[in-house]
Formats: sequence, C-alpha cells, structure tokens
Amino acid sequence: MRDPENAIVEVELPDDFDDFWAAGLADCASYPLDPVLTEMPSLSTDKVIVYDLRYTSYGGLRIAGWYTVPRDRPAPHPALVTIPGYISEPTIPKEWSELGYAALAVAPRGKLRSNDVFNPGYPGLLTHNIIDHNTYGYRGFYLDVVRAVEVLLDRPEVDDLRIGLQGSSQGGGLGISTAALLPDVIRCVAAGAPYLCGIMTAPTLTRSYPYEEINEYLRVHPEDADRVRETVAYYDGLNFAPKVRAPTLLYLGLEDDVCPPETGFALRRVLTCETTLHAYPHCAHHAGLPGVMRIVEDFLAEHLTPGR
Amino acid sequence: MNFDSYWSAVDEELAVISARPGLDLVPARTTDEATSYTVRLTSTGPYRVFGHLSIPAGDGPFPALLRTPRHGSVNLVPHPNDRSRYVVFCLTHRGQRLADEGFSAAYPGLLTMGIDDPASYIYRGIAADCLRAAEFLMSLDEVDPARVAVSGDDLALLTAARRPGFSAVRLSELLFYRATEARLKSSRYPLEELNDHLRAGSSAQIVDKTLAYFDPVRHASAVTARTLLAVDDPDWCAALIGALPAASVYKLTHLDGTDNDFLDAWLAELSGVPPMSRFLV
Repeated sequence: MRDPENAIVEVELPDDFDDFWAAGLADCASYPLDPVLTEMPSLSTDKVIVYDLRYTSYGGLRIAGWYTVPRDRPAPHPALVTIPGYISEPTIPKEWSELGYAALAVAPRGKLRSNDVFNPGYPGLLTHNIIDHNTYGYRGFYLDVVRAVEVLLDRPEVDDLRIGLQGSSQGGGLGISTAALLPDVIRCVAAGAPYLCGIMTAPTLTRSYPYEEINEYLRVHPEDADRVRETVAYYDGLNFAPKVRAPTLLYLGLEDDVCPPETGFALRRVLTCETTLHAYPHCAHHAGLPGVMRIVEDFLAEHLTPGR
Repeated sequence: MNFDSYWSAVDEELAVISARPGLDLVPARTTDEATSYTVRLTSTGPYRVFGHLSIPAGDGPFPALLRTPRHGSVNLVPHPNDRSRYVVFCLTHRGQRLADEGFSAAYPGLLTMGIDDPASYIYRGIAADCLRAAEFLMSLDEVDPARVAVSGDDLALLTAARRPGFSAVRLSELLFYRATEARLKSSRYPLEELNDHLRAGSSAQIVDKTLAYFDPVRHASAVTARTLLAVDDPDWCAALIGALPAASVYKLTHLDGTDNDFLDAWLAELSGVPPMSRFLV
C-alpha cells in the first residue's frame, strides 16, 4: 500500500545548479526583450482587451502568449502569468482579467505559435536531449516563463509588486521553478498537481504519460540512465523549491496517476516559504478541480488584491 | 442540404478514397504486453491523418477501442493499461500535432474554422477522419468484431452513429451539445470561440445552422450500441439521454480517481477484460 505523504523522494542537487541557471538567465538578458503587443479586437470583449504577444527569450527565440487586461478597471493591475500543462495550449485568459488581473498566458517554446524553431512534439518534450542538461529541451522552456514575467514588469499598467503565477501540472511545476528564479519578483504561486518534481522517482510510481516517456526512453536506451538522472536534476522542482520565497498554494490528488502524490508531498517538504497544501482523496490529476478553483482564486486575491 | 444528404456525401467521399494505411513499429512502446505502431491513413481531402495503434500480445482476437480525438492540439498515446487489454487506436485528426503537414489547427480558431458554410466547416473533415479511423480499426484481423468500443466526445457518438459494428460507446466532455446555449454561460474556451466569431460579425443563424449538423441529439437515434454518458448535469443532458436508444448515465463526482475507475470498469465489463485503475496501488 502506498503512503504518499511519507514516501522518500530524493534528488541530487548538482554542484553547479545555481551557476547553470544564472548562465541561462544571463543568456536571456543578452537579448532585448522586444515585446510586441497586437490588440485583437475580434477576441476582445466589453470587459477585457486581448493582445497577441511576442517577445524574445533564451537563445533569441521569439515566444508567443496571450495577454489580457481588464477594460473597465483602473490601472495599475495585479498580474498573473498562467502556465500551460504538458499537452494543452494556453487559452486566452479572459476569465482572469474579468476578475481584475492583467493576465499573460504564455506559450513556451514548442507550444503552438512558439514552435517555428523548436518543436520537439508531444510526446517528445520530456525526453528531448535528455542526456545533456545544457541542451535539454526544457531549458529554454523554463526560461520562457521567466521572460514572460519580465514582460509584465515592462508593462506600465502592471503593478510590479503584485505579480503571481498560476498553473496546474506542468504549469504547477514551472510555477515553482519560475518563483525560484525570480524570488524578488513573484508574490505568490498557485501550483496544482505539480509536475517535474521528483522526475526520476515519478516514472517508477506510474505508467501514465508524460512520465511514461522516460520509461520508454530508458527501455530503448538503458545505458543512458545515469545521464538522464544527471540532466533532470537541474530541472527538478525539488531543487528549485528551497529558493522560493513567495507564499505557495499546492493542491494534489491523492490518486493522481499523472503526477504521483508522493512527488507533491516531497515538494511540500522542501519548500521553506509559507505553504498551504490541499490534498484531495479519490482525486487524480484534476487535484480537486473544479471546486479547488475557488480556493485558488481566493488565494491569489489575498496576495495580489485585484480591485484594490 | 438536409442532414442525411450532408452526411451521406461525407460517406461517399470516403468510399472513393483508399485509406492506404502505413504502419511503423514503435520499439520504445513495444513490451511483453503489446506491440505499438504509428499509423498514417488517408481521409477526405485527401488528407493524411495520424494515429497510435497498439495490439496486445498473445492470441487474438481482442476487444478493440477507438479513441476519437480530444479538442486540443495533442492527443495522448494509448495508456499501457489499455494497451494490455484492447487493440487501441487513438486517432489524431487533421491539423492536430503529428497530422499537421499542410494544415496546423489553431487554438483558439479550430472550432469556428469555416463555420459559416456547413460544406467547408473543418469539423466535416474531422468527422470524416474519425469515420476513416473506425473503418481502419474494424478491418484489423486482431479485432474481435463483437467487442469494438469507441470513446470520446461528440465525435465518438457521431462515429458510432454512422458506422455499424460498435458494441459500446463511452461519452464524456461533449463539445457540440447545446453549444449555442452553453457559449453564453462563460468566456471559457473553446466555446468562447463562438462568441468571438459572432462578435467579429458572423451571423448566429448561420453558425447555428452549421452546428446543427453536428448536434449529437440528431445523431443519437442511430447509435445502437450500449452507451455510457458521463456528465456533470443529467438534467442539462436530458434531450441527449432521451435520444440515445441504449444509454446509461454516470453523474461525474469530480473525484476524478473515482470517475476514471468507474468509466474504465464499465467498458472492461462489456469487453470481457479486467478493470484496471491507472493509479497503481
């Protein structure tokens, strides 16, 4: 019988973890952000203005997003970056702007509209160059989310002191990494069913995708197990977690076959920031959805105060 | 064009286009339990669509499961639990990833692409892709023709309505059912696409006319298979439930571990295979 709350999930911390990510951030900084916003009247409503967004990220790639702003509320607005799941495309975050946020739904590289240059496909992203941490597909992907926050910092209608992150699954995992890489900027994180935590343990606890991609890769390349382990340690949320300073909301499904709950509890144990955890019995990867969204909305409102 | 003529024309287009299936073995997904392939098929257009096929190890014939595509750019690979029990075919329709040579579907955008003319509406081709997938799956020697199921949203219902031979239909996350009413309830995509499209100047009457061809209620009476409809609100779905000849209803609890297990067990029982939970204990 599994005991998710007390299971041991360990990840080695690479000696050069901080230097590795500092180098990635430095690469990003070597390119002008060059954000271009194009208003989309046909997608806008009487409550929300919708923009197509493009900006420059790691390696000089242009990245897309949807940016929405409340039409009927005075600036400055609190802001959210919403981060997509593994197989989902970012939707236009009108509902967040209806609640008073400037909201940026980022399409990291490989997602539609950001896949002209980098397109590992699905399945495929999780194992793209997984034997080399320097060229692993997720390196730019992680940094694209960081750059999305920098876009918000560049916007005059955004209150720089009220920026949060929201996402589930991959969006939850990257919420943790982004908050760790921008500890002075991020004010709160809502992370559901966080993926990319305990990356080498998770495939031993499930046969579901995306982690099953790692099992498949090692089925064909068993000799690469050590190199895979070395690579993903640089990307593991458990190694980012101690650097997160923002209050964090976690919600887990105790029968999650996609992101095993053991990994979510392990994340909770290594977070040193103010953390709230909701664990839902009999729930799988939805992790309490749709009901938990009210808790998410209240959490974000408490820290980001839309309508203030 | 009336409803029957519209769909007969799709069948006629498919009938004169050879599927010409091409299969490639996927070693990484081939185990003691099953052999996996990628598949390419020709649908109307002509357009080459994609799918993931898996065939259990051992002596068949096996029960079969067609998974029609979800609304989104990516479709999942058959889950190992399903690969061990069923001949599984997961279709990727035109425009989705892996079937996007020449046409890449936009999200948002796909739901309203060509919607102002039923003949050019993208979902006419997508439905054809699903029908082609059904024909392909049922043509496999490894499939037990008495145990073929289809699972998915409205496309699964439409497929079961237009291709005989399915013994079970498992439906959830309906997209087209009462879409013109549901679009008014929130600004959530994909139905918000309909609102966007109408704001841009299209006619609600024309959009409704096109969507009517895809209304699951209009297809339901042709579904002879045992059907499970998993829904949030049975009252909202009463018209569809009433139109399906052999429907049972599962009200989702939103304890999705419980819901997933129920849906798996329902089909497993009809197919004569053991139920399996995706959450390993």
